[in-house]
Amino acid sequence: MGYFTVPKAAPFSEEEIEALNRVVGPASPVQRAWLAGFLAGAEAALGSAPSLQPEQAAAPVAAEPLTILFATESGNSEKLAADAAKNARKLGFKPSVIDFADLELSSLTKAKNLLVIAATWGEGEPPARAVRAYNELMSDAAPKLSGVKFGVLALGDSAYADFCGVGKKIDERLEALGGKRVADRVDCDLDFAKPAAEWIEHSLKTLAPPEAARGTVIAVDFASRQQPAADTGPVEAEVQEWIDLNSSRSEKETIHLELAFDGAAPAYKPGDSLELYPENDPEYVDQLLKAAGHASDDALRGEFLKLRDVTTLSLKTFENYVASTGQQYAKQLLESGEAKKWLEGRQLIDLVSEFPIALSSEQLKSFTRPLAPRAYSIASSRREVGDEAHLLISTVRYQTHGRERLGVASGFVGERLKKGDRVRVKVKPNKHFALPASNDADIIMVGPGTGVAPFRSFVQERRAGGAAGRNWLFFGDRSFTHDFLYQLEWQDALKHGSLARMDVAFSRDTPEKLYVQHKIWEKRRDVVDWLENGAHFYVCGDAKSMAKDVRSTLARAYADVKSVSPEIAEQALAKLEREHRYQQDVY
Amino acid sequence: MTKELSRNEHLKEASNFLRGTIKDGLSQELTGAISEDDQQLVKFHGMYLQDDRDLRAERTKKKMEKAFAFMVRLRIPGGELSPAQWLKVDEVARHYANGSMRLTTRQTFQLHGIIKSNVRTTLQSLDKVLLDTMAACGDVNRNVIAGVSPRQTRARTEVLRLARELSDYFKPQGGAYREIWLDGEKIASNEPVDPPNEPIYGARYMPRKFKIAIALPPENDIDVFAHDLGFIAIGDGNGTIAGYNITVGGGMGMTHGEPDTYPRTADVLGYCEAADVVRVAEAILTIQRDWGDRSNRKHARMKYTVEDRGLDTIRTETEKRSGVKLGPPKFYHFDSTGDRIGWVEGEDGSHHLTLFIENGRVKDFPEKQLMTGLREIAKIHKGEFRCTTNQNVVIANVPAEERPAIEKLVARYGLAANLSGLRRNSMACVALPTCGLALAESERYLPSLIAALDEKLALHGLSDEDIVIRMTGCPNGCARPYLAEIGLVGKGPGRYNLYLAAAFDGSRMSKLYAEDLEHDQIVATLEPLFSAYAKGRREKEHFSDFLIRTGVVAPTTNGRDFHANTGPKAA
Repeated sequence: MGYFTVPKAAPFSEEEIEALNRVVGPASPVQRAWLAGFLAGAEAALGSAPSLQPEQAAAPVAAEPLTILFATESGNSEKLAADAAKNARKLGFKPSVIDFADLELSSLTKAKNLLVIAATWGEGEPPARAVRAYNELMSDAAPKLSGVKFGVLALGDSAYADFCGVGKKIDERLEALGGKRVADRVDCDLDFAKPAAEWIEHSLKTLAPPEAARGTVIAVDFASRQQPAADTGPVEAEVQEWIDLNSSRSEKETIHLELAFDGAAPAYKPGDSLELYPENDPEYVDQLLKAAGHASDDALRGEFLKLRDVTTLSLKTFENYVASTGQQYAKQLLESGEAKKWLEGRQLIDLVSEFPIALSSEQLKSFTRPLAPRAYSIASSRREVGDEAHLLISTVRYQTHGRERLGVASGFVGERLKKGDRVRVKVKPNKHFALPASNDADIIMVGPGTGVAPFRSFVQERRAGGAAGRNWLFFGDRSFTHDFLYQLEWQDALKHGSLARMDVAFSRDTPEKLYVQHKIWEKRRDVVDWLENGAHFYVCGDAKSMAKDVRSTLARAYADVKSVSPEIAEQALAKLEREHRYQQDVY
Repeated sequence: MTKELSRNEHLKEASNFLRGTIKDGLSQELTGAISEDDQQLVKFHGMYLQDDRDLRAERTKKKMEKAFAFMVRLRIPGGELSPAQWLKVDEVARHYANGSMRLTTRQTFQLHGIIKSNVRTTLQSLDKVLLDTMAACGDVNRNVIAGVSPRQTRARTEVLRLARELSDYFKPQGGAYREIWLDGEKIASNEPVDPPNEPIYGARYMPRKFKIAIALPPENDIDVFAHDLGFIAIGDGNGTIAGYNITVGGGMGMTHGEPDTYPRTADVLGYCEAADVVRVAEAILTIQRDWGDRSNRKHARMKYTVEDRGLDTIRTETEKRSGVKLGPPKFYHFDSTGDRIGWVEGEDGSHHLTLFIENGRVKDFPEKQLMTGLREIAKIHKGEFRCTTNQNVVIANVPAEERPAIEKLVARYGLAANLSGLRRNSMACVALPTCGLALAESERYLPSLIAALDEKLALHGLSDEDIVIRMTGCPNGCARPYLAEIGLVGKGPGRYNLYLAAAFDGSRMSKLYAEDLEHDQIVATLEPLFSAYAKGRREKEHFSDFLIRTGVVAPTTNGRDFHANTGPKAA
């Protein structure tokens, strides 16, 4: 597909020609045709016929509508949805991209063509923001989708048990509701880029409007086009401060990290995350290499330390291992169907050491994946800390099957990173977790444990900006004395008004465990009052139970305070979510 | 000339009978502390705000305030608890405190490490078994202590009754305790809306703490001469009590380098009949209330009032205020200040087991599950528990048929052990890390010092000899170190002043022998004295008496000469 260039001689300024080229240059023939038709039609309507007349001004033809629905946690599905929309436009579709979080299920009945890109989170769960619409889709109340042509792209991580479970369920459900599958589902692992691009191309082709419909004029909704984020690579930062915020008596270690950049800090906003490129635990890598019989392979060691995910063990890896080595006992375990259970709490090193067999370095490498960065919510605001970014990282340590395990990135930070070291990081924007546009709006923040990180950023940002809106923080952890993260800072914030209120819940200080949701319930009158007054509600932290408990507590609180039914309360909460006044960043 | 009142006097007066702003302070969730003024006031409610001094250095760096927590001290007159009460204290200690119970030197429990958000719940739980912490600290009459004497069953019942009566009589009346801690906002409408505000104390309470002790000779376990006001029971020859010798002006506290401050043994003021005790006690307490020095807290104890006014003046005023004519002191005899560890049979045939609790720390140790063991005993015990002022505990009134069951638990949990004569006569205050006054370790250090000294004692065949050793982390004297044959008082980290030769029966104080000793020096200083004692002692002569007789140290005859003639004498 050749580039189309506006000639220099055209009756425009140099800048205008440049701007035109930016749009017209990469446009597809269909887009160019539309533009030609549009301009001609518009001129005709205005009645200011220019001397230069196009040969024919085609009547506008309705473009083929396409709905692209995404469910995202990390932003990958969302990015793919945008890519799909871009390609679709070139093919003459009129795509509309919809976030599951905003989905009105009934609108799907009118969709002619539907592409769904859905991520699976944790142990087979939909991303937090997609839960409501997902549940509606799965419920008996879901509308019939007769005649809707659809295709599903599933994203997941094969390290988890229910790989791509959400995508699979949506795929089945759409068919059950009467939809017509026109593109087979593809399940993508962490290295999704290539299979996803192929799926997009293939499904769009399958759905492609008949030649006739691709008239010369196609409606393009420029407003819905999103500016692709400048995808700059990782940058280096120096560890300026490293503090374990928990007391030496605590069972936990939560590291406060202050990163300084050479020059300007990458442009991050409160709510954004920073991806950190970890290195593997040398002790673990050495044990793995030794178990695999490659203890003296320095090149492999170097690669394993920095580039490969050498801990994750999935069923897929297990199968590969058996296929590649034929290890007798591993094979037996796989055939007995017990392998999946055996995998629980185990890592690659367990596989290699418990089912030993001679392995080439290539073989060993084939059981690993590229080492992915880990994202952490940023705990600072540039308006207050300048060219720094602060992170709050809890060191993950546990014991399974007789081995001490250490989180890859959190162990890297907690165990080995020191003041003065350099790390690679990259900003990961999160536009679904951001301060209200208005400085006057109140905010309620619920952030136990490391979930408090973005709220430190929020409070810093609003303090620096002199925001009039009130800030209310709910924080919790295990022990008041030993785990009160940033205690002195919060005391100071409360004293000086950058926090209007703060409520705390420490679960191990009393025989009955006290959590943030109990404090929300205790303060429900004021919470509901704030929400009715336009407050935005934010939840950050544990996805498995905390975020769910907080949401259900808030629903109960609303029902109680307003004396309404649970259904009405749920609707009120769903409305909050649709208005983006209930935002979550959970993991 | 009237001197200016000390800051605490203004504070008490302005506190609205001990309320201050405590309630408001409790509602502030982000800090574990309360205001400085309220910190003074909560003492009257039986607690201190402390912080874990082991953690001080790291906290600011970690963006945390000090590791604040409350020490809560119970009011247990006469040291007597029911098994149900024991179980409740045990439960509260595990749920809200640091998982241990600490027997004090004044017959009660302290619980450490209770964070602010748990103080109310703690006191409410204790209230359910009729225990409180009222007036366990502060400028008021403190816990009234009484000899535990397991053998003198009838007399013990009488001194216990008296201890409880005096404790209730002098309890603060202002209602703040219930209001703040138990949420008893005007419990019932028929109660007086405004309870009488402190008919005895008035708005300023006492000038300083006031301690009452009741001794049951021949045991002086409660160290009667160490307290502001003491009563020595005089028997009627039939096992009951006819009356009491009254002692005044004892007290342990002093300040290093300030010779105007000194510990003092009480003087015997006279004798009164049992029926007149409360009136006499009130007269003496109000004398101190009115005459005590309210301008200088280091000169505010009863002992300085007695020194300044003279014993005769005090006697005359006591008689005037009480309307009781005091008789001359009756004969009494004390033989020791220690507890008799092990089983004893009472005069009524009941059985009593005194268990040694090292430094009063009731806790599960690897070799000795003290806390669990005592809990299991409390579950089956039909009698009562008695806390002793030597930080030990008596399982009292065990019917003969129940004794095997108790013995079984004692064996199972390792509650009884073979103890050297030095260890079974040892006491230490809490000191680091919780006590704000501590200059040196005490509870955490004394056990290992005793181990080192026991090695030396063994060399001289003295392992089983009863020798009283007491240690405190500061000169305020909670473990009564000046009434020990070997007293060690913290001077700075790892350094102690060594005091020697207080009488075994508690009647004479010790004398400073050497200053600023570190561990090795303490052992090296004492070893030659042990050696000389082993060689030159007379039959049944106590270590302290030997040291005086042989001129190693000069005797202390009263408080004023405590600081005189210190150091080793020419031996």
